[in-house]
Amino acid sequence: MELATEEAREVSAALREAAPFRDLPEGLLAQIAAIARTVRLAPGERVYAAGQPADSIYVVASGRIDHVFKREVGAREAMKRIGRGGVFGWAGLLLGQTGHLATANATEPSVLLRIPTEELVKLLESEPVEGKAAMDRFGRMIQAEFTVPSLLAQVRRLSGAPMTEEMSRLSLTMYRISVWMKSPRPYLMLIGFALFLGSWYLAVEVLRLPRFKDMPGLTTVVKEWTSPSPTYGLSIYTPEYYQHIGVSVWRVTQAFLLATALGVPLGLLMGWSTKFREYVFPVFEMLRPIPILAWVPLAIVMFIATESAVIFLAFLASFFATALNTMLGVQSIDESYVRAANCLGAKRWQVFRHVIIPGSLPFIFTGLQISIGVCWFSLVAAEMVSGQFGLGYVINTSYVMVRYPTIIIGMVTLGLVGYATSALVRLAGDYLMQWRVRELALSEG
Amino acid sequence: MTKPPRAAGENRGHKMIDDVVKVYDPGGAAVMAVDHCSLEIEAGEICMIVGPSGCGKTTLLNAIAGFHEITSGRILLDGEVLCSAEKPKAEPGPDRIVVFQNGALFPWKTNLENVIFGPVMQGRMTKSEALDRGRAMMADAGLAGVEHNYPGEVSSGMRRRVEIVRALMNDPAVLLLDEPYRALDSLTKSVMHEALLEIYYKNKVTIFFITHDLEEAIFLGHRVAIMTTRPCKPKKLLTVDIPHPRDYSVLTSKRFRELMQETSEAVHEEARKAFQAGEKEG
Amino acid sequence: MARPRRISGRVIWRGVLSVVIFLVLWEIGSRSKIWLSWDAFAPLREVLGAAGFKKTHLPWIGSVPPPTAVFKAWMAVIGQAGYWQSWYMSFQRVLGGFVAAMLIGIPYGLMLAVSRTAHGINFPVFEALRPIPPLAWVPASIIFWPTQELAIMFITFLGAFYTIVINVVGGAKSIDGRYFQAAQSMGASKWDIFKRIVLPGTLPSIVVGSAVGMGITWEVVVAAEMISGGGSQMGGSGGGLGFFIWNSYVGGSYEQIVVGMISIGIAGYVSSELLRALGHRVTPWLRVR
Repeated sequence: MELATEEAREVSAALREAAPFRDLPEGLLAQIAAIARTVRLAPGERVYAAGQPADSIYVVASGRIDHVFKREVGAREAMKRIGRGGVFGWAGLLLGQTGHLATANATEPSVLLRIPTEELVKLLESEPVEGKAAMDRFGRMIQAEFTVPSLLAQVRRLSGAPMTEEMSRLSLTMYRISVWMKSPRPYLMLIGFALFLGSWYLAVEVLRLPRFKDMPGLTTVVKEWTSPSPTYGLSIYTPEYYQHIGVSVWRVTQAFLLATALGVPLGLLMGWSTKFREYVFPVFEMLRPIPILAWVPLAIVMFIATESAVIFLAFLASFFATALNTMLGVQSIDESYVRAANCLGAKRWQVFRHVIIPGSLPFIFTGLQISIGVCWFSLVAAEMVSGQFGLGYVINTSYVMVRYPTIIIGMVTLGLVGYATSALVRLAGDYLMQWRVRELALSEG
Repeated sequence: MTKPPRAAGENRGHKMIDDVVKVYDPGGAAVMAVDHCSLEIEAGEICMIVGPSGCGKTTLLNAIAGFHEITSGRILLDGEVLCSAEKPKAEPGPDRIVVFQNGALFPWKTNLENVIFGPVMQGRMTKSEALDRGRAMMADAGLAGVEHNYPGEVSSGMRRRVEIVRALMNDPAVLLLDEPYRALDSLTKSVMHEALLEIYYKNKVTIFFITHDLEEAIFLGHRVAIMTTRPCKPKKLLTVDIPHPRDYSVLTSKRFRELMQETSEAVHEEARKAFQAGEKEG
Repeated sequence: MARPRRISGRVIWRGVLSVVIFLVLWEIGSRSKIWLSWDAFAPLREVLGAAGFKKTHLPWIGSVPPPTAVFKAWMAVIGQAGYWQSWYMSFQRVLGGFVAAMLIGIPYGLMLAVSRTAHGINFPVFEALRPIPPLAWVPASIIFWPTQELAIMFITFLGAFYTIVINVVGGAKSIDGRYFQAAQSMGASKWDIFKRIVLPGTLPSIVVGSAVGMGITWEVVVAAEMISGGGSQMGGSGGGLGFFIWNSYVGGSYEQIVVGMISIGIAGYVSSELLRALGHRVTPWLRVR
């Protein structure tokens, strides 16, 4: 009996060293100590593996435990060595987690205290105030010491029944949306748009301010845009509207793809080979300062067909942006990557394939983002000067024919379509650069 | 076991640095980075090179690795001339692998893909063989579980271990470590030292390790070469007569402190010289 | 990775060589009307014909005036006041739009960076308007502004405005938080922090943003001049280099088109370089790196 109380005292002392239990009242701590079981492990012995049911929490009384997260957790430090006073196996306390998130192995002869998760929760529920404080400390510890993203480190509410389903992608999205809705951002955004549209409406249609009264008003534009029989012939119900969009998108697609197909290889070569760069770059730099739009008349002279001239102009703008950024991307690669690849026996083209290309991808995609923007930019100008069909053409002819609301429809449509295309480019970049997406996600978390 | 006995066929990595001179010529003002430096490193030895930052020790490493030319002298590996006055730049190759100061794991490849990079590029193994070996070696080094993570997702200490495993996958004759633990905090560093020794006891590869940390040098090395500051040449050679395998208790031993005392004066003197030279430049 | 090092003789020599080769090829290509009629090139003529091009000259490059002719045309206009008047007009518009973009864009960007509420209200609208290319604003701008001059300046203003704001917000947000803590611990007031940390901390990105913005301004001014001057329905010409180009095109003087293009290239390059030099002066602490 004497021995048993000695042991109980020792268990309590070990629990006291664990961060979540540090400030618990003596009585509650003794109750937790009573449900804890001592486990002895030899070096190399496994405590549990990731995915096994998280039915117990462990406190290290002595020895050392290697704790390695499974990758989906997204912990900033995937591995952690835990010594006396360390707590692990807490996954069962988290919202929507039922399995362990990590694998834990003993590296030394270790003594652990094993506390059944649900019994612990019941005990903490019996003392709501202290219990909640302990749970909060668990949450903070999980986030700070284990560098688990705050999103995952949400501990259960004590009174609430444990959730059984894993935190799925959908629920994660829903969670993010609910956080966003709780922040002031969506309301500020609404205020912003309301202010913008409201002042447009007031200035043009209500107050009829001097310069504004000639402009198309908000309601006029919206009515025209959504009218099945528009006064000026262009709305979401007319096939011409989609024809113009289609023509512009098709031109941008051709120009952008051609520019990427030529600009990326040229940029890679210029970045990679000093000789090539020293010969080609001066001519490149000589042509680049000439604004793309200054090429318009020359393009019309060179290409008798207007269609080719318009595409050429959009292409030219994209091409310079893509080639230049690709070259900068290659130059941005840390020399030690190339040296490491050389050390590891990679031949010249293998270095190119495995180091130069992936290493410059972030810059290439920055370049492509810029490229798609300037592609639209010059396409609109070219269409305005010398186009048939296309959104730039719509804007210009509507001006000439005094169809003012259609000008705004054209502008808004351009904005929407332009935004959609650059979003597509960004998605393609994220898809190709998983490593970067994950790094960025971690650095934000 | 100060000089570890090596199994047959393992006796590689004997390196001679013979009278090497390196002169930089930036804009006409010749700067001597390495001055008639001679050093012989036994096969299977851990040789620590200690000197203040910017003393030219990295220049020496770059010459061995084949990143830079030398001006005169020769460097030999297992009797073969790597570089000399006639052929000033050595060919980089998988027999001498560098572990870089800031780490050079490819961030766009997962840890396992990084580890198998060498053998697959050289065509020494098929991809599946390399994957099996890579997994086994990573598990051996305590890296099980992070194979499919990208380097950016694991701790810096782990990245260093992955990088060393990536080097060892190539059966190098010599590992060239360029202050690999410089950016780590001292606690992680101590874990890394033990891990490095553990790997070394398993693989018995020759290690050429550059550092400015005297404690690290004496703890790890069979021998410690203390270099003079720019131009760089050995100032003092110290044989560390503390038997391997070592662990952290060595740090508090009497002999360790004696060796520290014996050498810290020499290191400090060079550091002061380097500091003053730096002040003059600035 | 071959990083750009100090410019050596070899680099200059190679650059000159490549530019010369480029000019010679251009000259030969442009003069294809002459040499393509020689008998030796009969097969090439057939190839061109088979590909659906005209047999008299090379496609594309054959329609471009040769560099020697361009040079002659340039020498001819260089003495004319009208040519320099165009320079002056364009510079004036660029400067007007650009200065306005700086004056409005920098305080606006700083406000978005400093106040979370201002950012929440303004930024979504800003981001919604940004994808609309500045040139799409040309007609609306002409309707709105009383004079054509103001309309063109407004377009050039828009071109630079977005870039400057984005760079200012990004620059101010990327300032290391420790600077603020350090300043606070030394007893700095809010205004001090703004003046001594936010402003200088944002300066490098203001410099970058305005250099990029300057480039866009030149793009825009040319187009605005061409669109407003080119379409006669839009009223009279305002002059400027863009109009110079368009006028040369309408007048059929193709050499002058190229002269105009080169002139704009030079003008844009010089203004960006001036801006960079100025930026270098106001951010002396970046020189060390």
